[in-house]
Amino acid sequence: MSVSESKGGIKLQNSKVRRGDIILEGRGICKDFPGVWEHLVLDHVDISIKAGEIHTVLGENGAGKTVIANILSGFYSLSEGQIYAKGKPVYLKSPRDGIKYGVGMVHQELALVKPFTVAQNIALGAAESDLFFPIPEIERRVRELSKKYNLYIDPKSRIEDLSAGEQQRAEIIKVLYHEPEVLILDEPTSLISVDAEHLFVVLQSMAAMGYGILFITHKIEEALQIGDRVTVLRLGKHIGTRESSKTDKSELVKLMFGEHTPVHLERKPVKSEKVVLEVKDLKALGPEGETALQGISFTVREGEIFGIAGVSGNGQSELVEVITGLRHATGGQIIIHGKDYTNHSPGDIIRAGVSHIPEKRREMGVIEAMTVAENVVLKDVRVYPFSKGSFLNLPHITQHTNDIVSRFGALVSDLWKSQTRILSGGNIQRLILGRETWRMPKFIAAAYPTHGLDAKAIEHTWELFMQLRESGTSFLLISEDLDEIMALSDKIAVMVRGKIVGIFDGARAKREEIGLMIATEA
Amino acid sequence: MSSLYLWGIFIGSLHAMVPIILTATGETIGESAGLFNIGLEGIILFSALTGALGAEAGGPIIGLLVGIGTGFAIGSIFGLINSYFKGVQLIAGVGINLFSAGMVAFWLIHLGVPGHHAVPEESRLIDLYTPLGNFSPMIIVAILMPILVYWLLFRTKLGLKIRAVGENPQAADVAGINIYLVRFLSTAIGASLAGLAGAYISVDWIGSVTKEISAGRGFIALATVVFSGLNPLLVLLGGFIFGFFDSLAVWVSTMPAVQRVIPWQLVSMAPYIVTLLIVAGVIGRVRFPAAMGIPYERE
Repeated sequence: MSVSESKGGIKLQNSKVRRGDIILEGRGICKDFPGVWEHLVLDHVDISIKAGEIHTVLGENGAGKTVIANILSGFYSLSEGQIYAKGKPVYLKSPRDGIKYGVGMVHQELALVKPFTVAQNIALGAAESDLFFPIPEIERRVRELSKKYNLYIDPKSRIEDLSAGEQQRAEIIKVLYHEPEVLILDEPTSLISVDAEHLFVVLQSMAAMGYGILFITHKIEEALQIGDRVTVLRLGKHIGTRESSKTDKSELVKLMFGEHTPVHLERKPVKSEKVVLEVKDLKALGPEGETALQGISFTVREGEIFGIAGVSGNGQSELVEVITGLRHATGGQIIIHGKDYTNHSPGDIIRAGVSHIPEKRREMGVIEAMTVAENVVLKDVRVYPFSKGSFLNLPHITQHTNDIVSRFGALVSDLWKSQTRILSGGNIQRLILGRETWRMPKFIAAAYPTHGLDAKAIEHTWELFMQLRESGTSFLLISEDLDEIMALSDKIAVMVRGKIVGIFDGARAKREEIGLMIATEA
Repeated sequence: MSSLYLWGIFIGSLHAMVPIILTATGETIGESAGLFNIGLEGIILFSALTGALGAEAGGPIIGLLVGIGTGFAIGSIFGLINSYFKGVQLIAGVGINLFSAGMVAFWLIHLGVPGHHAVPEESRLIDLYTPLGNFSPMIIVAILMPILVYWLLFRTKLGLKIRAVGENPQAADVAGINIYLVRFLSTAIGASLAGLAGAYISVDWIGSVTKEISAGRGFIALATVVFSGLNPLLVLLGGFIFGFFDSLAVWVSTMPAVQRVIPWQLVSMAPYIVTLLIVAGVIGRVRFPAAMGIPYERE
């Protein structure tokens, strides 16, 4: 690959390409995963990317956004349809072919080798001889690209020492190193909620230089804000492509979901004075031995949703882990139904009626190598009727799993054959929600329960929580999404650096008031 | 007098470390790419036999080359099964061990004295004669090999590719690397070094083939790789430690006076016990490739 620099911006490999020309196009793209999915994951999707534009692909979980990105970059093969690069049909058999035709992709789960440095990761894909690699030269180019695109990164730093935002910058630089004409970004803002604005500025300046950018997201505001054009996918089908200037939020919502679904949460006040959970002056250390909780106290009554607002990383994860018995408390007390459960085993705490919707759903929520049915009954399998004596009661487990899968609308292919790892994050969360709530537990510790879910799934989750609340379940709700906290909580605590800095009444709290507290105390 | 004994044990250590170092160095390449070959023991054993036959047919150098070829052939089958066909590495490795044990035992029945095949003196590799004693030239090879492989893994782009494939195959795939080929070649080339080790035992060092000739050295090499944390330079050290205890055990077995104090059976256990202790000591402290043992599937 020739290194070609020009002062005004990228020098497109084919100088005949002008702004507005289509540089990459997919026509009638179909994708099936035989044996895994019965329906087409992509069903005759058309998509085009023009030089100098940002094209967003919008859709809920399972719409096929990541699949189309992977096909256009050569990572997945296609089952039917044709890809054209600058009007010529091309056949992409591997990411290397994608690079050859000028397509670079920034994966959602970043494709970086963690123990390697930024420069070493780039050297991997560079086409020089197999024996020697010019690290100083690569480092120089990384600094150059960093400066040019305003993506600061130290080429000598190890990937595993970098923050999520820095890792993403490294990944983008890595892709830019190959001088692509098309840049595909798969849900880039899921990693970096804070840095998103900066990323948008970078992408817009790249589009101005002549790059074609495909930006994948499930957030409508984002799609409208950054995209010149928006393509909406729903369940693998191409629903429509609109100019951003000629569409609005309500039309996109209709395209995404096919209907209007306003959310409104009414409730009766908490009747009971019975305290389900009492936390007294709780202290704990974080994973690196740092102080994570510095004396937290609050109570949750029966049928109450106690929300904790704040930027994640301020001790919320540790709080949930200590309450569910997964982390050692260094001080204070946890009292569940009047009994002291401080530093009891997770099993004890589950038996005390505490359910846990964990933060890391793939790591803590399910065992990915096990099947859907096995994961759904993971907590219940010890007792009748899920098992009889030492034996699993397969008919009952199947029926129970079917019940949960259909009630929560999880898209799964086979309860007993397919591993849970092939499911999307949203579908895994549906299974976890089903598993943790079907017994109508007395108390649920829910950490980021709707993170990464599509709007419809969020609405279903909220409805479910409200129904459970009605029947007397109490919640500790942790979320970064202030709207979610405001919609659900009876009481709202603001947590900053391991402390609760304020508690508000959910019905009367003002968004600005809470937002201000989060922003000023931090 | 006692310093002469020590010198003898030292030279013995150098000879005993050769097969461990060669095998472990090769396995370091394969494991860096994410393939774990538990069949090294079988490769050493089988190559000891084929190497001996090769040496008798065409001289010691041919013997060693036949050993390398045998290792490469068996390693290729292992690589084919595990890289391209995504097999279970443990099972494939056990298969190699069983196959070799069976084949060697069968062939040995038909070669001269059943169960024991001595390589004629004229077919064995000639030592280097120095004022300090006689050394096998293979000792030099065994010392240079880890240094060469260290350079390959940590100073070349090929090495970067091999390690990337073991650590994060998806990232390597995105970078346009042919994961299956890199894994296949890494393990096959690694196995050729085990083949060289086997041929060294029969053609150079011991000079005979029995069905126990490998004596667990394939497994000790695996342990040495663990000890080294995939650093070939530490393989050199680990190999010498084993070689020393092996040599010590041989020395005790020739000294009736010492045997009256310590039974030689106990001393001959020493290399294995030391291996166990060393590995137990480093477990959890060394870091292995994240994708070790996991077949790669893109979709």
